[in-house]
Amino acid sequence: MNMLRFGVRNLFRNVPRLVVAALLIAFPFFLLLVMHAIGGAVERQTDKLKHNVDNALQLRARGSMGHVNMLGNDDILPQRVLNQVQGIEHVARVEPYLLAMTPTEGHNFAMIVGVNPGDTKRLESHGEAGNPKIIAGRDLTEADRGQRVAIIGQGFAKWAGITPGNLGQATLTLDLTRTHPVIFALTRPPATVKIVGIYASGYVFGDMQLFMPLDTFREIYDVPDGLSWLFATADAADHVPQVERQLRTLLGEAVDIVAPTSVAEFQRSATRAVVRLSNGGIVLAAALLVIVVFFVMLLAVRERAWEIGTFKALGASGGGIVTAFLAEAVALCGVGAMLGALLFSLWGGTLAQRVFGVGVAPFLPAQYRDALAGVLSLSSDLDPAAWGLLATVCLLAALAGSAWAARQIVRLSPMEAVRHE
Amino acid sequence: MSSQIVTDARSALIELRDVAKIYRKGREEVRALDGIGLAVAEKGMVAIVGPSGSGKSSLLHIIGAMDRPTRGEVIVAGEPLNARPEAGLTSFRRKTVGFVFQSFNLIPNLSALENVMLPMEFDGVAGDERRRRANRLLDRVGLAARLGHRPRELSGGEQQRVAIARALANNPPLILADEPTGNLDSRTGQMIYELLKEIAGERTVLVVTHAEGLAQMADRILHLKDGKLVADDPSQGLKKQPVDRPGTTGSA
Ligand SMILES: Nc1ncnc2c1ncn2[C@@H]1O[C@H](COP(=O)(O)OP(=O)(O)OP(=O)(O)O)[C@@H](O)[C@H]1O
Ligand SMILES: [Mg+2]
Repeated sequence: MNMLRFGVRNLFRNVPRLVVAALLIAFPFFLLLVMHAIGGAVERQTDKLKHNVDNALQLRARGSMGHVNMLGNDDILPQRVLNQVQGIEHVARVEPYLLAMTPTEGHNFAMIVGVNPGDTKRLESHGEAGNPKIIAGRDLTEADRGQRVAIIGQGFAKWAGITPGNLGQATLTLDLTRTHPVIFALTRPPATVKIVGIYASGYVFGDMQLFMPLDTFREIYDVPDGLSWLFATADAADHVPQVERQLRTLLGEAVDIVAPTSVAEFQRSATRAVVRLSNGGIVLAAALLVIVVFFVMLLAVRERAWEIGTFKALGASGGGIVTAFLAEAVALCGVGAMLGALLFSLWGGTLAQRVFGVGVAPFLPAQYRDALAGVLSLSSDLDPAAWGLLATVCLLAALAGSAWAARQIVRLSPMEAVRHE
Repeated sequence: MSSQIVTDARSALIELRDVAKIYRKGREEVRALDGIGLAVAEKGMVAIVGPSGSGKSSLLHIIGAMDRPTRGEVIVAGEPLNARPEAGLTSFRRKTVGFVFQSFNLIPNLSALENVMLPMEFDGVAGDERRRRANRLLDRVGLAARLGHRPRELSGGEQQRVAIARALANNPPLILADEPTGNLDSRTGQMIYELLKEIAGERTVLVVTHAEGLAQMADRILHLKDGKLVADDPSQGLKKQPVDRPGTTGSA
């Protein structure tokens, strides 16, 4: 019967109390895992954005700001650029885009984007990085080429009255004759597209877009050739400068070559805010844990003062008795952590969404405030990092929470053995 | 003012010189022990009697290093306790003393066997040896069949026998028992005394008791009153231990 085992056994002396204490401890652990999940999801999102951006170069017609309405072909890259870029060494992937704008309310507008199904859905004015997540319906597929179908951002969908519930029948009619202070009217018939999916992009303007197959776009806007953007992805980040040099030699003055950086802005504002908040939440959860452990262990010392006195009267060192109590505290935290992990795997995903909406979103920059939660994959999986965090916090909280109890134990007189008589 | 027993202390296991324990609460002062001088021989049973509040428990606690005296010297097994730091007192309690409490003080979630093994655990005795010795001790107190039982599954007398086995675990030269039969009926109490008496054949047993009849079983009876040693008798009907030579009671 060594003191470690004795300590762990003491945990089971009062099972109802163990259950209550474990639940009290499970709650902060649950919170901690939720916070960890939120922080992790945002960091994963950043990584995905970075992944889309790091190796990529954007090509645009010289002088076009990227906001291109299909009026005249001055703002458009010639179609031949596509083949030229494809031929360059170390270019792994080429993604052509066509863009138009359509007025919504007042001075606001939405983007209409033509892409090849399967290509990255890059989001104008953010990241050109793009990692929208389909939240209802489906994504575009190869079979959609040339078909009048589209997927729509959740903000645009809301404006158009499209919900996941009515997605089966939803259509959107584009009136190309409508104007706007910065949008020219087009003399084209209105076009109706069937909406097959709704996506979340993570930020407000990203949700005000519509993606349709490139061929469909050409037909509706009557752009038989030419491109708004061309994204060239190098096979490795190291090759980007080389690819860029070759592009400049090949295409010369006709194009602007831009290395997208908007992901940095996301990283700076959104990621940092969320990571700071989730770390704050983790610290708060750990503090809660310490407080619970503190009271549980203090109660145990109070209750078992005569036992501690007896141990001392029998010749136990203070250190030995403290070891037993620490083992009990660590075991208690361990049980709480397991319970917390169980609760998390059951309800963590759902709660993380809520916590994000209520606790994190208000602290985000405006463009991410209501939109970021939708794009994050907040999972209730426990990755190795989560287990590591659980174990570390478990140990630290048990030790910190028992510090006062340990001090009491060391100071207790063996006379406590007879005081209860 | 102190009462002193003049004794040859050279072969004594316990020697007290002018020991006092004074409790202070505000301006009030309780002299629980007041100038105790005493020598107790190796081996034999010594009973401590006296009215309630006379200082019997206080005396036992000081001899057992559970508590420190306010004044005076305590020497047990040749070692002055006053000089020892706290850790030294811990090892003293572990090796030199075995306590038997009125309320048994068994650890409720440990079996009889595990309770007896505890002091050996504190003393770093190896697992196998611990088990072997605890088995033997429980056999000796007649509980060989109750090894795995928890304290609440044992009668009061059985619990006290486990406690006695536990007190013997590290084979200490001194057993201290404070009213060990206080929570037991008289017949069971008698059995416990017989056990203590038997143990006293090989070591010193100091036992506080209110039961006059049981005190008579001891080789020597110390009478306390108001914190002072007022009488020191060899009990009637028993022959004195050779090394145990109580002198006269008087003032020094
Ligand atoms: N911690 C304490 N604080 C103050 N006074 C104390 C304390 N412990 C004991 N006393 C006092 O010291 C005196 C001796 O107490 P002690 O417990 O030694 O008596 P006792 O002879 O064992 O009595 P009893 O037969 O009732 O157990 C009593 O007057 C008691 O009230
Ligand atoms: Mg007493």
